[in-house]
Amino acid sequence: MQPLLAITWLTWKAAFRFRLFLVVAVLLLGSVVGLPLLIKDDGTARGFTQILLTYTLGTISALLGLSTLWLACGTLARDIEECTVQVVAIKPIARWQIWLGKWLGIMSLNAALLTLSGGSVYGLLQWRATRLPADQQTILRNEVLVSRGSAKPPDVDKEIQAETDRLLRDRLQKNPDTRANIPEARKQILEQVKAELQVVPPGYMHIWEVNLGMAKPLAPGQPVYLRVKFNAADKSPSGTFEGRWRVGVPRKTPLWQSEVMSLAPDTFHEFEVPPNCDEKGVLTVSFLNANDTALLFPLEDGLEVLYRQGGFGLNFVRGLGIIFCWMALLATLGLASASLLSFPVAAFFSLGVLTLALASGTISNAVSEGTLMGFNSETSRMGHSVIDVVAIPVFRAVLEVINLAKNFSPIDSLSTGRSVSWGELGQAFGQIVVLLGGSVGLIGIIIFSRRELATAQLQ
Amino acid sequence: MSVILNRILPLSLIGALLAGAGLVQKSLNRDRDELGLTRVQPLENAPPVLAFTTVALGGFRGLISNALWMRASDLQDEDKFFEMAQLADWITKLEPHFVQVWLVQAWNMAYNISVKFKESSPGQFPDRWRWVKAGIELLRDDGLRYNPNETLIYRELAWFFQHKLGQNLDDASMYYKQQWSYEMAKVFAKKKPNLEELIHPRTADEQERARLLRETYKMDPQFMKEVDERYGPLEWRLPEAHAIYWAALGLEKAKENPTKIKEDDLITLRRVIYQSMLLSFQRGRLVTNPFAQAFEFGPNLEMIPKVNYAYEQAAREDEKNRDHILRAHRNFLRDAVYFLYEYNRLADAAEWYKYLSTQYPDKMLLDGKTNSLPANLTLDQYAVARVQGDVSDSGGHDRTEGIVEGLLVNSYRSMALGEDGPAAGFRLLAQNVWSAYQSRMPTERLSAIGLRPFDEIDQEVRKRMLDQREGEPPEVRAALRAKLGEPPEVSAPPTTTNAPPEKASSP
Repeated sequence: MQPLLAITWLTWKAAFRFRLFLVVAVLLLGSVVGLPLLIKDDGTARGFTQILLTYTLGTISALLGLSTLWLACGTLARDIEECTVQVVAIKPIARWQIWLGKWLGIMSLNAALLTLSGGSVYGLLQWRATRLPADQQTILRNEVLVSRGSAKPPDVDKEIQAETDRLLRDRLQKNPDTRANIPEARKQILEQVKAELQVVPPGYMHIWEVNLGMAKPLAPGQPVYLRVKFNAADKSPSGTFEGRWRVGVPRKTPLWQSEVMSLAPDTFHEFEVPPNCDEKGVLTVSFLNANDTALLFPLEDGLEVLYRQGGFGLNFVRGLGIIFCWMALLATLGLASASLLSFPVAAFFSLGVLTLALASGTISNAVSEGTLMGFNSETSRMGHSVIDVVAIPVFRAVLEVINLAKNFSPIDSLSTGRSVSWGELGQAFGQIVVLLGGSVGLIGIIIFSRRELATAQLQ
Repeated sequence: MSVILNRILPLSLIGALLAGAGLVQKSLNRDRDELGLTRVQPLENAPPVLAFTTVALGGFRGLISNALWMRASDLQDEDKFFEMAQLADWITKLEPHFVQVWLVQAWNMAYNISVKFKESSPGQFPDRWRWVKAGIELLRDDGLRYNPNETLIYRELAWFFQHKLGQNLDDASMYYKQQWSYEMAKVFAKKKPNLEELIHPRTADEQERARLLRETYKMDPQFMKEVDERYGPLEWRLPEAHAIYWAALGLEKAKENPTKIKEDDLITLRRVIYQSMLLSFQRGRLVTNPFAQAFEFGPNLEMIPKVNYAYEQAAREDEKNRDHILRAHRNFLRDAVYFLYEYNRLADAAEWYKYLSTQYPDKMLLDGKTNSLPANLTLDQYAVARVQGDVSDSGGHDRTEGIVEGLLVNSYRSMALGEDGPAAGFRLLAQNVWSAYQSRMPTERLSAIGLRPFDEIDQEVRKRMLDQREGEPPEVRAALRAKLGEPPEVSAPPTTTNAPPEKASSP
């Protein structure tokens, strides 16, 4: 353990000797203090807080990420190139300990910098919040500076699939000689079955039941929030549609009913409702369509109930925890590439990998379209190429790997008051640090252990 | 000799060429500008950071602008709007001379984003208003600052006032009008607009309000006065007046750059003016309702001659759309006659009715009634038919009585507000509707399906409105009683008391 800590300490010393710590700390603090002066919000306290969180945490991630990559590449590659690593390697210390010691050094630096900058953001937010009018503070405390869990109506996908198959079988029995395109027919039946659960015809009422059993004891008397979204069959001259919301069950729970609400389609709306759950913790929500056109609430995100799960402080710490996991991966990547390559090449390679990960949208498009050639709008068909046979499976695999690290959005969750759960943080640690970082680190350690250090010295 | 050849001659040559280039540069720039060969004119009025950024980034700023635009689209798809104001600011400033960029970003905020927000409480739309205002401010405060001669920006700004704030298509349009009138109240000190005091401010308060008008709303009171004289009188607390102002300013700027302007752009500006004038005529007068602490709209009848002139001028200038304009002109004249009649300005109504008959002798006055040519209808008949609408078709007893009652209620409310003209007009209309219905009924059926005597309906309406429990609010009742010459009402005995209840039973 002592050799490991000695290397960690040396990495710290190097970071201070090269004034890296100081420079990055100043940049981070400068961005936290300076950005709020530069950016233009939408004029609300909520908007300001959201944009502040998004930009400051985004900038911190970017600055810290780049400095981590740079430091990781530099600290090992330059030690090898300048032969200083040979002085260490001849001591009674294993190569893997040198490698891991450097990683620990970088990560402890990151921890210090992230604590410093994250603490500044948190302090700034709290300070600004106390200076707001009382009503704005209430909105902030309830909707942004909070950790809200989410509950949705039960997933009925299995039932939908079963009903679709049953209907398909019925139809095939009635028309056994049909030459129809069976997959296409099934797709159409599936949409019909889904429509019955999603569409609210004019003048009709739609009811959702959301089980808040888990959340109820956590939020006694606290309001809950409905997050709704719908699509409309027709356009409305005013751009909005009217409806009335009701929460609760008559003669069973307290009943709340909204005024007629004028809501725009294709967008999320969030509003506060009382938590009129029944004794089992089920919240019954109904919507009356007061328009002369049908409205469709998608099964996936048509209705969601948000409830208070905890405070902002701990949520913020968990969010920073996920950012820290990303830094760990970048440190691993930088050290692994520096184990084999010279400093400039390692830095270039690491940045290339990072760019590829950030631009995974193109890969994702190719995978979802099943071709590299894209959609031909003239023929209304997907293009096709022989390369697709190899490229698409490779892209799919690459995407899976990238998504292991990318499928977390702590900044987004924090800025919208969503909960970053311990489970999510644990999953991030498992996927990003242990699985991805562990694999890349292992490769790096093996390469570094086998490398002939004396051949790498500069002229 | 070699010194002269090697040093002095080249230096002289360089100097001469630079001087020559300097002389030619001005005319070259002018030619490039006139021929539209460049889109990278130096920024005027820009803050130093922006001027430096646009020059330093050169062509690369287009790439950055595209990246920001993509981010804005992605965020909008995800319903995240809190960054939009910042992104729009950056995008437009990276391409400050690209007019379409300003138009699209402003439209996006005022139209697409604003409607995504719901009311915070019944009738209150502060979130929507913020985005509509952001769209207006982007064009007015920044777009025109960097492109002071772009007619398209003036047209768009005017359109926002005319359509988004002025028309009633958005559920929140009434809220927008209210908010705009509150903002203008700061400029006009909560009283009827007086432009003269803003042109020549004397007191500190007037100077402050003039500064607010010029610096915040970017409006010139002198030009407002010119617009008011040319197209008004306008109610400057309403959005239509501002639509006319910005369109008129666009036309003025077009005169300064005649070579750059397309005729179609001018037509759209003129269209905004006459359409907004029509709106101003229809409801361009603010009637403050002190009882409800709100305002109501009334027609601005003083504008009729100018609106008429604007339509006739537009029909002359816009050959392509002449038929549409003339149809709109006829509709305007029909409304003008009706409103004048309603407001008891019978002589003016008769004069405009005559004008309408002369201009469109072979066009129907009432929709769907082929025999309603001006030659076949008197002014009275036309006005009553307008208010009766489909009642004349169905001949409904209850509906007609309802209309008579409604007109009488309007008459008494106008009276309470001190609007004596409309009060008399509504009463006259009520009488005419009553008479028209009765005259259509066969005499033998009058006892069965005829209306009650007019005085009886009138007394009942008056009694209902003065009722202490179910009538109008106390302030309205008091004002009405004063107008009608009735004594002040005696307070009704209280229905509840704070006194402790009597004991139900003795011990």
